[in-house]
Amino acid sequence: MKILLVDDEKKFAMMLAKRLVLREIDVDYVFSGEEALVKAENAVYDVAVLDVKMPGIGGIELERKLKKLAPDLKIIFLTGHGSKTDFETGSAEAAYYLAKPIQIEELIRILHEVTGRG
Amino acid sequence: MMERFRKALKTIRPEFYRQKNKLLNPYYTFSDYRKIWAIGITTLATAALVPLLVVTVIHYRLIEKSVDSELVLRTERLASNARRAMTFFLEERLNALRFTVNEIRYDQLANPDHLTEVLRNLKLGFGGLTDLSVIDYTGIQVAYAGPFKLEGKNYSNQVWFIECQKGNFYVSEIFRGYRDVPHIIIAVKSFRPDGTNFILRATLETERLIQTLSSYKTGAYAEIFLVNRSGIIQTPSKYYGDTFEKISLPIPDYSQRTQAVMERDDQKRSIIMGYAFITTQIADTPFILMVIKQKAGMMAIWLKLRANIQWFVGFGILVILIVVVITCTFLVNKLYLADKAKAETMALMEQNNQLVSIGQLAAGVAHEINNPLALINETAGYVKDLFVIKELYHKDEELIESIDYILEAVERCGRITGQLLGFARKFDVKIQKVNLKDAISDVLIFHNKEAEYRNIKVNVDVPQDMPEIVTDRGKLQQILVNLVNNAFQAVVSGCILEINASLAGPDKVSITISDNGCGMPAENLPKIFEPFFTTKERDKGTGLGLAITYGLVKKLHGDISVESKENEGTTFTVTLPTRIQEVMGENEDSAG
Repeated sequence: MKILLVDDEKKFAMMLAKRLVLREIDVDYVFSGEEALVKAENAVYDVAVLDVKMPGIGGIELERKLKKLAPDLKIIFLTGHGSKTDFETGSAEAAYYLAKPIQIEELIRILHEVTGRG
Repeated sequence: MMERFRKALKTIRPEFYRQKNKLLNPYYTFSDYRKIWAIGITTLATAALVPLLVVTVIHYRLIEKSVDSELVLRTERLASNARRAMTFFLEERLNALRFTVNEIRYDQLANPDHLTEVLRNLKLGFGGLTDLSVIDYTGIQVAYAGPFKLEGKNYSNQVWFIECQKGNFYVSEIFRGYRDVPHIIIAVKSFRPDGTNFILRATLETERLIQTLSSYKTGAYAEIFLVNRSGIIQTPSKYYGDTFEKISLPIPDYSQRTQAVMERDDQKRSIIMGYAFITTQIADTPFILMVIKQKAGMMAIWLKLRANIQWFVGFGILVILIVVVITCTFLVNKLYLADKAKAETMALMEQNNQLVSIGQLAAGVAHEINNPLALINETAGYVKDLFVIKELYHKDEELIESIDYILEAVERCGRITGQLLGFARKFDVKIQKVNLKDAISDVLIFHNKEAEYRNIKVNVDVPQDMPEIVTDRGKLQQILVNLVNNAFQAVVSGCILEINASLAGPDKVSITISDNGCGMPAENLPKIFEPFFTTKERDKGTGLGLAITYGLVKKLHGDISVESKENEGTTFTVTLPTRIQEVMGENEDSAG
């Protein structure tokens, strides 16, 4: 399973990436939508984990662009804005929303769920 | 009795006269409604009553004046007629005597038999004569015809003799004389061929005179009588003294004409006094004819009419005052109620604005904290991962435990920021599927610490098969927060708070929040959902919590009711539709 992690909170992205690596998950992490698009053009990912609010290309817009590049890509949104029942209406293809701070076990479970490798 | 009266007064007392809620004072447009009411009544009453009173007084004065002048005129006319009769009465008799002395020679008159014959003829012609006598110029009575023996009597010192010698004719006032019978003397002087004079004197009965006067119909409140010029009453009077007494009225000044004036008598009664000085063409007389009318009696009809008018005007004033007071009270009360409604709305709006501001602040703070919290979470998680997954410090349980504490704290902080963000969204209208059990748990997070600290047991009972309801989650949570807050304020340590949810029909759910706290008196129950009603101490409650709750329940198309018994507890029941309208989109995450 190969994952692309995009979050403008650099330290958060790095730490989360390290934890996933410890769990033997292949993670690339970048800090902006623009960098994410470059990465996605050069590699194939199973799942993209995106922060909703980012400067430049935001999470929702990035999701649309990534879907154009790779229609099979699964998307998980992270947000610092509200509890899980209070998310704004996102794209219909959006797989899951997770509220920060996240529980790593839940993220792992969802990752397995969307990739069908539970 | 007083208590009952006070109670009755309380029920009719208008709204603006009651105790005002001081919290609302800054929002009122007008501050002193009692003053507005008083000014309104005064102005309206003045505008309505002054013209009425002025017209009434003017009308009354005019009528009184015309009635007065009519009375004076009639009195004058009566006096004038009576005067003419009196003058005629005296003139007729004086002329008869003059005719007698001119027609019959002295020596014939001095013969008593002849004189008796003359008296008989005069009595036949005019009546009212008692006797007839001839007195020579020395004052000795030379002949007498009549019932008394008066021949040879000397009158030379008598006033009437001296006056008649001076003026040729004489009319006396009424006096008793030698015979002690009221009578009048009239006398005519004549000259004999030898140049000496003699006087023919006649005595008149007063009966005839009194009859003449009383023949005038004066009615019950008027009388006609004679006085002499020094005010001694000559003919009987009903009110002003007996014959030969001094009259108790002022004697009018001499006037040739008949007069009538308004006066007050010695007993302060208002009278109309008509008078005339009786003067014949031949001789002056000492008589003044008096016509006295009692004004109160004469005006009885008019006074009765006036009393009727006064009653009518009084009644009219009363009706006007009642109408003015009722109208003013009604209008000022309406104005007050409108102002009060406005003030309450403004206060509520401000309260809501404050809540929205607090919500926005909370959202901002929560969002800002969430990012560092996420970093702490991942960092601590990573450190733990290093220990657990890499098995580097696998054995150091104390360290693992410490890191677990950090992670637990982060998780708890995360829940709180989540709640704060949820609170911020309470004011957006947003329909979504809500799991009642979750919603209740979310609300109770805020109260866990307090419940633990105060030893309050909170039991939540939501059946497992309870369907999700479609409603506004934020509003529902605010309703629950308010009711739970309310319950927490009502209970003491060791009490139990029960929160139950159940289906209340095919498309309704009911949520009950019961406590076994202090309860509320029955008379307060109908008022508790009114804005600004509070039983809490001043400064502790705004009286808005339950009003807002009520408004929110209504917005969710639901109902709220309350049951309470003092010292037993209170139960609030909120009934909500399971679905208030079609869901806009299935945007729920299913990751819960």
